[in-house]
Amino acid sequence: MSRPEDAVKEKLLWNVKKEVKQIMEEAVTRKFVHEDSSHIIALCGVVETCLLHQLRRRAAGFLRSDKMAALFTKVGKTCVVAGEVCRKVQELQQQVESRKSAGGNQETLRRQGSTGGKPPTLSPQALRHIWVRTALIEKVLDRVVQYIVENCSKYYEKEALLADPVLGPILASLLVGPCALEYTKLKTADHYWTDPSADELVQRHRIRGPHGRQDSPSKRPALGVRKRHSSGSASEDRFAASAREYVESLHQNSRTHLLYGKNNVLVQPKEDMEAVPGYLSLHQSAESLTLKWTPNQLMNGTLGDSELEKSVYWDYALIVPFSQIVCIHCHQQQNGGTLVLVSQDGIQRPPLHFPQGGHLLSFLSCLENGLLPRGQLEPPLWSQQGKGKVFPRLRKRNSSMRSVDLEETVMDEGRATDYVFRIIYPGHRHEHTVTINYHHLAASRAASVDDDEEEEDRLHAMLSMICSRNLTAPNLMKDAGDMIEMQGFGPSPPAWQFEPPSGRSSCLSCSVRGSPYGPPNYCSCAQDRMPLRLLCENMKRQIMSRAFYGWLAYCRHLSTVRTHLSALVHHNIIPPDRPPGASGGLTKDVWSKYQKDKKNYKELELLRRVYYGGVEHEIRKDVWPFLLGHYKFGMNKKEMEQVDDAVASQYQRVLAEWKACEVVVRQREREAHPATLTKFSSGSSIDSHVQRLIHRDSTISNDVFISVDEMDPPDMGPKCPEDSMAGTVPMAGTPGTAIVEQQQSVEFDSPDSGLPSSRNYSVASGVQSSIDDGQSVGFEEEDQGEEEELDPSASGPRASLYEPPDPTQEDTPQSSELGAGEELAAVCAAAYTIELLDTVALNLHRIDKDVQRCDRNYWYFTPTNLEKLRNIMCSYVWEHLDVGYVQGMCDLLAPLMVILDNDQLAYSCFSQLMKRMGQNFPNGGAMDTHFANMRSLIQILDSELFELMHQNGDYTHFYFCYRWFLLDFKRELLYEDVFAVWEVIWAARHISSEHFVLFIALALVEGYREIIRDNNMDFTDIIKFFNERAEHHDAQEILRIARELVHKVQTLIENK
Amino acid sequence: MAGGASGEPGRGAAAGTAVPETQEHLFKVLVIGELGVGKTSIIKRYVHQLFSQHYRATIGVDFALKVLNWDSKTLVRLQLWDIAGQERFGNMTRVYYKEAVGAFVVFDISRGSTFEAVLKWKNDLDSKVQLPNGIAIPTVLLANKCDQNKDSGHSPSQMDQFCKENGFTGWFETSAKDNINIDEAVRFLVENILANHKNFPNEDDVDKIQLNQDTLRAESKSQCC
Repeated sequence: MSRPEDAVKEKLLWNVKKEVKQIMEEAVTRKFVHEDSSHIIALCGVVETCLLHQLRRRAAGFLRSDKMAALFTKVGKTCVVAGEVCRKVQELQQQVESRKSAGGNQETLRRQGSTGGKPPTLSPQALRHIWVRTALIEKVLDRVVQYIVENCSKYYEKEALLADPVLGPILASLLVGPCALEYTKLKTADHYWTDPSADELVQRHRIRGPHGRQDSPSKRPALGVRKRHSSGSASEDRFAASAREYVESLHQNSRTHLLYGKNNVLVQPKEDMEAVPGYLSLHQSAESLTLKWTPNQLMNGTLGDSELEKSVYWDYALIVPFSQIVCIHCHQQQNGGTLVLVSQDGIQRPPLHFPQGGHLLSFLSCLENGLLPRGQLEPPLWSQQGKGKVFPRLRKRNSSMRSVDLEETVMDEGRATDYVFRIIYPGHRHEHTVTINYHHLAASRAASVDDDEEEEDRLHAMLSMICSRNLTAPNLMKDAGDMIEMQGFGPSPPAWQFEPPSGRSSCLSCSVRGSPYGPPNYCSCAQDRMPLRLLCENMKRQIMSRAFYGWLAYCRHLSTVRTHLSALVHHNIIPPDRPPGASGGLTKDVWSKYQKDKKNYKELELLRRVYYGGVEHEIRKDVWPFLLGHYKFGMNKKEMEQVDDAVASQYQRVLAEWKACEVVVRQREREAHPATLTKFSSGSSIDSHVQRLIHRDSTISNDVFISVDEMDPPDMGPKCPEDSMAGTVPMAGTPGTAIVEQQQSVEFDSPDSGLPSSRNYSVASGVQSSIDDGQSVGFEEEDQGEEEELDPSASGPRASLYEPPDPTQEDTPQSSELGAGEELAAVCAAAYTIELLDTVALNLHRIDKDVQRCDRNYWYFTPTNLEKLRNIMCSYVWEHLDVGYVQGMCDLLAPLMVILDNDQLAYSCFSQLMKRMGQNFPNGGAMDTHFANMRSLIQILDSELFELMHQNGDYTHFYFCYRWFLLDFKRELLYEDVFAVWEVIWAARHISSEHFVLFIALALVEGYREIIRDNNMDFTDIIKFFNERAEHHDAQEILRIARELVHKVQTLIENK
Repeated sequence: MAGGASGEPGRGAAAGTAVPETQEHLFKVLVIGELGVGKTSIIKRYVHQLFSQHYRATIGVDFALKVLNWDSKTLVRLQLWDIAGQERFGNMTRVYYKEAVGAFVVFDISRGSTFEAVLKWKNDLDSKVQLPNGIAIPTVLLANKCDQNKDSGHSPSQMDQFCKENGFTGWFETSAKDNINIDEAVRFLVENILANHKNFPNEDDVDKIQLNQDTLRAESKSQCC
């Protein structure tokens, strides 16, 4: 396939393949293909292009404007199937024509979904490809194409795709699949002309293959901790994984290059065994070079899958990463050569026996190339003209030689048979450092934007300067060095050649013996040897410069990591397995043991269990208050009761306060209602302006606002059972009197002037003082009147003051109380400023809106429980009126209620939760921090994805994570999963990271990274994708990835 | 994915059955307004012909796509961005508004305060997004929940005046519950968008030309013999 015509044909066929794949994917994911699917049109288009390729001009009027029509008509004359298609097409065309001439409604050109009666309408695209499309939908396209291929000479030039003896039949057979599909005319709302849904994308991704995380091959390897783990141990992992995969791994694949392969290399696996023949291969991946030897028994496929896995030969197979090997012993023998690999620890691997015929040498030559550019064989192999690589000719070690020199054994002068090669990584003592450096070099180049080529060039220049000044004679380096650089490390033999080795050994030794830093001018043959010496110098220079880069980039990278990520994770790693069992989670047993023996149970150990394994559902109700900080670990029963009592009384007090206020708000709304209508009916903003003015007027006279700073917690627990809350609001008289008795009043100008959110609005005292002062003026005339009326009885109905009926509850009989309630409300109204009432009204409205529609599809949220939800939410908001209710708060409270099912407890836990979550809401500012942290994390951990996000309209602002962070993933997950994820987030705070949510978010992104990448998603796509994926995530998997990511960042920071 | 218009002007297909060119447009349309005015309900009604009292509060943004066979020559894909009612207070609306070509501002006819907020939304919108030529994007005011308040008594002429004064393209009384006027409102907005589009063709057309070039290249390749 070298000629351009062939390339064209290949391309045409490839296009067809692609479209066929698309349409088959659609068929699988949607169970059917709609006739109007864009994939059909696309497939028709590419098939048509193939059919038109090199169509003979003159045959049967192919000059006609519509070549498809001509071709099909011609073929139809001899081929029955094609004839059928012709008839169908003509029918369709007539229908279209008649519709057109009838001047029918052109509103919809699309098919209306009826099979009878109405003639079908075709989209313009469908009409364009009517011939191929009809053949496809009639499921005969493959047969028509097959026929054309068989009779190609009639219709096509010799060069045509369809006339190709190989490609033609392939085209026909490609179309068999699409011709077996069902095409539907049914019109469903979502199933055509829409982008593939998130589910579909995920499913298509699965179809494409069970691959794990992959970077696109064209890209540089992204950074990563992740990457290093995966590829560093790739060979071993795969070996353990499955035999089949292992054998496949021996072939060249996208990740690794096969550098060398030789069968029938003998290895004696055990002392008492005979040598076994096997397949020796050398694999190079991005960062490592690995030798594998696999016994023939595993290779030849005679064993079944199950036998294959069990076979003893697996024990004999060798996998040797060259990073562990420090030297290689070679023994040349009559019948071939033997090679022994020696590890750092001095352990010798079983000898590999190569058959005769230079295989040992070619293996070494491949190995030498594979080690480049970081490592090399010492001594290097020699290159010899006409022969390629040869074993070096060496003399016995000379005391004056450099220390890094070879250790060879010379059997007799002139013909060495045994060699020891060392694998060295020049410029570095520890080859592992080198590995890491290079790894990070590539990574941080990809990751950091400012690290551009220019800077690199400058550095390079600087380094060469240093090298040439200090290490070599500058004048020599200047010219020759540059020349050599071009040829330096290529795998082919260098351009210069050695003289035949016979008479030159002395010269070599002199060049070697001489000072490496200067020209050996005392040696007469120095001029001849110059290229070699320069090569060595140049190598050294390059290696140093590369190493320097690596080091520099690594440092830079680490400093980025430390600056940005250091605060995100705890630096001490608490593992799941020391002591073991944390992944089992916090079970009922463990919990009951803790309760029996609170003193000896460590809080951290319990949290560790929660972090790695979650809480057993049954005990969540008991455990969550601890996790959220309602109780402290280690509290005894009495202490816990005290906490509960305090919370209960506070809750009742807050409840009473806002309920009283609500009565006023409702009353006011009823009165203002006609006004609102009038205002709206006028349709202009003038009226509302006027109304605002009225408000202001009334505010002036009503500014007095009185609060009681200190107040005994009212004792009302038993009198006020929670369940009756839904109906009326029973309020004992005691708190009222208690409040009134304390007249330490403080005045405030306005409730909006930065009041502490926890302050108490005292209704009773407000009433008292305003009445006493007689200054208060109602905001409406009627109020004034009522207030005055009430004056004489002001001290009387204290008790009823605290029993205002809840106006939202219309089903309770309250006719008698209602009048009194309204009157009282009017009195109370005087105690609140208009601003406060406005604020409360607004918040109540928002809360009501959201409570009504909070997770109504979840069983728990019955009207009764929704009422509880409302009470708790209003209480919380009443205490935090400065922030007010913000959408999303109900979502955060709901799961707590489901688990705790107790108002006070839920109220307290929610207040605790909001200490952290409140920061995410608009006033908090934590959201922006989350986004910034996400940015740093992705940039460092997945630079490829980061680049993509940057390119596609730049959504590195990460706004698509907004809902995730605002609600701790509550909307992304099913209820059961929300429980599991939340408790891990809470525990993570003490175990691994206070910002665990970031890692969950990262896990979500990483979990779908291939889909995001392959579909080249932009901001809209990604936000849409994740919206659609909501409640479809595998929460446990996400948590696992998240914990792993935390661990990776921890190790990255730890690894100084 | 959703980017760009993938349609291309059709060439005459079979001889004698010349088909008019088809244009496919992708329009991003925003739906904004105070919380609880029924934005999500309007969208669900329009796209899925459904109504429920219990749609959850929108957090951040939601999406819906609706395809309109506008006329024989035009296919319109509407990408409806359902933006949470409280988002005006966040700083993200700028990102959400980006590249929108039309908007609905919704208020609840039974709650006057949501009408007052209409202008705040409109200002937010105008300050953050414009058409390529710098003018405001066409915006239609929806007085939703008209089923609840039949006798509100506001006069159409006053509403017209309000729209004129405040730069709204038009207004409709709608009900997602009873499916009143929603299709009409969308049709009205799309008409305006298309009119703008004809005057100021945007990048969609660039995509289209590129696609055409691709097609042409493939064809010329196949025909040279």
